[in-house]
Amino acid sequence: MTMNRRDFLKTVAGGGGLLLASHVRPAEAYMPKELPPEAVGILYDATLCIGCKSCMVNCKIHNSAANGALYSKDAKGLPYEFTTQEKIWDAPNDLSSKTLTIIKAYRSGTGINKDSGDNGYSFIKQHCLHCISPACVSACPVSALKKDPVNGVVYYTENRCIGCRYCQLACPFSIPKFEFEQASPQIRKCQLCHHRYAEGKYAACCEFCPTGASIFGKVVELRKEAQKRLELQARAEYDYPVQTVDSSYKMRRPVSKYVNHIYGLKEVGGTQYLLLAGIQFDLLGFNKEITDTFLPDLTWAYVSKIPSVIGAVIAGGTLAWVITRRHKNKDKEE
Amino acid sequence: MNRKDIKMMTPVTKVLLLIMGVGFSVSLYLMIFGHGASTNLNDMWPWGFLIGSAVLVGVAMAAGGFIIAGMVYILNWKKYKPVVRPAVLTSFFGYLMAATAIFLDIGHHFRVWHPIVMWQVNSIMFIVAIHVVLYTTTLATESSPMIFEKLNMKKALNFVNKIMVPVVLFGVLLSILHQSSLGALYLIVPSKLSPLWYSSKLPHLFLVSAVMMGLSMVSFETIISTKAFKHKPPMDILTGLARWTMIVGSFYFVLKLWNLITGPGIGAAFDGSVAANMYLIEIIIGIILPLILLSRKGLRNGLNGIFTANILVITGIIVNRINVGIFGLAKYTSRSGFDYFPSWMEIAVALALIALAVFGFKVSTKYLNLFPETSH
Amino acid sequence: MKFISDNRLDEMVNSMDAFSSKGISRRDFLKFCTAVAVTLGLPLEMGAKIAEAATNPKRPPVLWLTAQGCTGCTETLLRTNHPTLEKLILELISLEYHETLLAGAGKQAEEWRENAMKAYKGKYIIVAEGAFPTKDKGIYCKMGGKTAVSLLEEMGSHAAAVIAIGSCASWGGIPSADPNPTGATSAHEVLKMKGINTPVVNIPGCPPNPYNFVSTVLHYLTFKRLPELDDQARPVFAYGRIIHENCERRPHFDAGRFADQFGDEGHRKGWCLYKLGCKGTETFANCPVQLFNDVGSGAWPVGTGHPCFGCTEKGVGFTLNLHATASPKYITPPTFFTEVYPGKEVVSPGVKAFAAGVAGAAIGAAGAAMLLGLGKKDKDKKDEED
Repeated sequence: MTMNRRDFLKTVAGGGGLLLASHVRPAEAYMPKELPPEAVGILYDATLCIGCKSCMVNCKIHNSAANGALYSKDAKGLPYEFTTQEKIWDAPNDLSSKTLTIIKAYRSGTGINKDSGDNGYSFIKQHCLHCISPACVSACPVSALKKDPVNGVVYYTENRCIGCRYCQLACPFSIPKFEFEQASPQIRKCQLCHHRYAEGKYAACCEFCPTGASIFGKVVELRKEAQKRLELQARAEYDYPVQTVDSSYKMRRPVSKYVNHIYGLKEVGGTQYLLLAGIQFDLLGFNKEITDTFLPDLTWAYVSKIPSVIGAVIAGGTLAWVITRRHKNKDKEE
Repeated sequence: MNRKDIKMMTPVTKVLLLIMGVGFSVSLYLMIFGHGASTNLNDMWPWGFLIGSAVLVGVAMAAGGFIIAGMVYILNWKKYKPVVRPAVLTSFFGYLMAATAIFLDIGHHFRVWHPIVMWQVNSIMFIVAIHVVLYTTTLATESSPMIFEKLNMKKALNFVNKIMVPVVLFGVLLSILHQSSLGALYLIVPSKLSPLWYSSKLPHLFLVSAVMMGLSMVSFETIISTKAFKHKPPMDILTGLARWTMIVGSFYFVLKLWNLITGPGIGAAFDGSVAANMYLIEIIIGIILPLILLSRKGLRNGLNGIFTANILVITGIIVNRINVGIFGLAKYTSRSGFDYFPSWMEIAVALALIALAVFGFKVSTKYLNLFPETSH
Repeated sequence: MKFISDNRLDEMVNSMDAFSSKGISRRDFLKFCTAVAVTLGLPLEMGAKIAEAATNPKRPPVLWLTAQGCTGCTETLLRTNHPTLEKLILELISLEYHETLLAGAGKQAEEWRENAMKAYKGKYIIVAEGAFPTKDKGIYCKMGGKTAVSLLEEMGSHAAAVIAIGSCASWGGIPSADPNPTGATSAHEVLKMKGINTPVVNIPGCPPNPYNFVSTVLHYLTFKRLPELDDQARPVFAYGRIIHENCERRPHFDAGRFADQFGDEGHRKGWCLYKLGCKGTETFANCPVQLFNDVGSGAWPVGTGHPCFGCTEKGVGFTLNLHATASPKYITPPTFFTEVYPGKEVVSPGVKAFAAGVAGAAIGAAGAAMLLGLGKKDKDKKDEED
């Protein structure tokens, strides 16, 4: 080794400096932990849901329009899923690259009592929960998935995506779906119909839900509404708002017995899609291993230590080299 | 035996070329027709055999480079100098394999440069991407003396030798971050990954096991190369590597045990589930058996003992990476009824990448001065 | 809802003694106007307005031109009860010319027609029935020495509106079926060819539901404009939805209950006729809602057990095989639900096999290494001596 110590230290310092002088602004590094100021979302009340699937039909229609979450420029018609032998129904079995929301059913025993865990049945509407601190947003290496800082919608920018599918792995609810069948694939998921907000519209599923099972509104108000419902007496009469939480169009009907929990209030640190049901949520398909931890925190615990590792290795390595070199000077072959 | 005596067109080479040819065609097909047409991946199994093998395993296999280079250039342990070049070259091919696998695996192959320009520092995928780029460049630099020698570019050779130490230090830094970040990739899925593997210490576990794997890999390929060249195996290097493997391996075993006890508990490894059984295989084959062998001085200092231990460690780490990437997630994904078994195309591509690395290494042994200390 | 029930209508009809009515009470008349309003999808209050228009002494003149028609569209008007055909032609409109119904014939009839055209120039309505042959200069249909096409051209150019009744006039219908030897064309296409801009409304069907026609006419009388039309100039109130969307057998379709053969169990149970070739999934019409002949539910083809053949729809009726399955236009989910949580506690078979494979390979490699490596003690010592 013909390099002297000074040159070595200069090179190391230069290289290290380059690494540390990244254009990362500290603010960007932190994932949001609070509800954005104008956060909007959906409250789904499984006890009101009748399984009509109007939400599914209209989600597909309105998201296939320009700028919608299902839009594809060389699409011939709507992205139907012909999964049965008779290819006459749009019959998705699960969320997919063509289906952004799905109604599934739970049944126990004879399945005749609605929203009861005992010989009962219930419907559940699955789609993106638009988490407050989304794992998918923190996982995406190129910010193809971003959370709107004002309304909190977790939206997708197609031309950034490299198709690595880390978001699929990261999402605790396994929401993002990938177009495996396409040569130029996109990730597809509900984007709360944010492409309709400019014209004063809102989530199509809520607009077309006939019973008020899905209602749209500001998350703070949805939370209040959900809490209000939990405090109602079963079988009392209540005027359920239809379409939006502040709607004047209401449906009066008896209150069902709820499971005393608002799903999405605390899970993964809170989400903008809240659910109420008469059945335990783990029976409705929610993974019971999911906790209230902000998932991006788990990754940040590692990432935040990187600068110190860089420093330690450069310092330690340099020191080791200097010390051992002095020792080995006598044994140098050159 | 001389480099001149190496026959390029042996039956083995022919098989390698065939595998690479098939793999290349399959890769083209995948790039044109997409993942649905070529793999069995689905929405619940977004990552499968290709990522599990070529990336996770490939990167672990390539850990030898930074360890040996670090030992020789930073810690000045000149005893290991004879194996620096092959170790670094293997690393280079290993990362090339991983980088190619990533290129093929992502849905938009030609947007692979996006992470370099579009930063998102919360994402471990981003960290991995940046590191792959930086480290492949570093490895290329570390490997360049062989090329410059061959091409008789004295000025370039001198320059590279001058900056070798800081480059190696940079490489050590990147490797530490890179190896641990592959483990960090799975930090974000506590509700999906089996507690047998999930832990906040995943990055540490990946790093330590990578070191163990790297040491074994270098030892393994040294033995193979000396057998191929009909040289005398450098027993001092091999026993040194074996000793370090034992030390690091013991440390790794303690970490794994600690994780198991403070996590799901020892009983979880014996509950007969697929995950538990794969865990036992990983631990027994990859840690317990080799540690038993290496703890016996007679075996540790004998060629066969070392070779056997190497194979056990390598096998164990391969199983570990596939466990974390696939079988550790199986319980969660199977709940929804989704299934996965790699398609023949996925297997073909993974094999082709390995063949590429092996073939590349063989070509290098013939045309580059990999073993300057023993060349005639 | 304030609505005239079928019972009430029956009562009304019986009390009217439809085939020899000499006069209708004001109350009943208002009721029928309300019924028309409902058919049109208008608010009930519009019934009064329609009543006013219908009793206006200045009844608009209508010239009925039949070309390649079977007169079925005229006959379908016999099946209305509100208004009855004679109420329509004697009191609501002024039917100046109709080849089947007019008393005169020959030159007199033609003269009468030309006089009416002159007298009501720009104000009369044409009702076109049947298709118009265009091949060989249109010689395949001539009335009074003039081709049907030239008649339409002549009459259409000074008409206020043209109502094409029936599929033949709307898009060509049965005469236009492959190979269409006469070049049968729709009324609106003929007018377009001749560069005539008179507004056209199509009332397709074979025959169309008479109420679709009658309501359109009364809408025009009341509001002096045609009702909202779709892109094929069909009134939206009647042709805005596909049959499938209003069919009483839709729940059977959604639940996958199909009749496979005429007379089988499913057929007798009244299940969906999709597999027998029902074109309801791609045909725009209001048959399941409006029904025919005012005799109550089930009075339409599907209701009687025969699949719809898409008589209103161009490209479907007289084009597609009667019993070939249709292509649904708007595809919706079935009534099946995915089980929300299969909750399978077992690892899926493919993954299990994969695990077995990896485990096997690992154990094999380890085993081989152990056996070969540790069984080679003697050879090892020998190597070291070299």
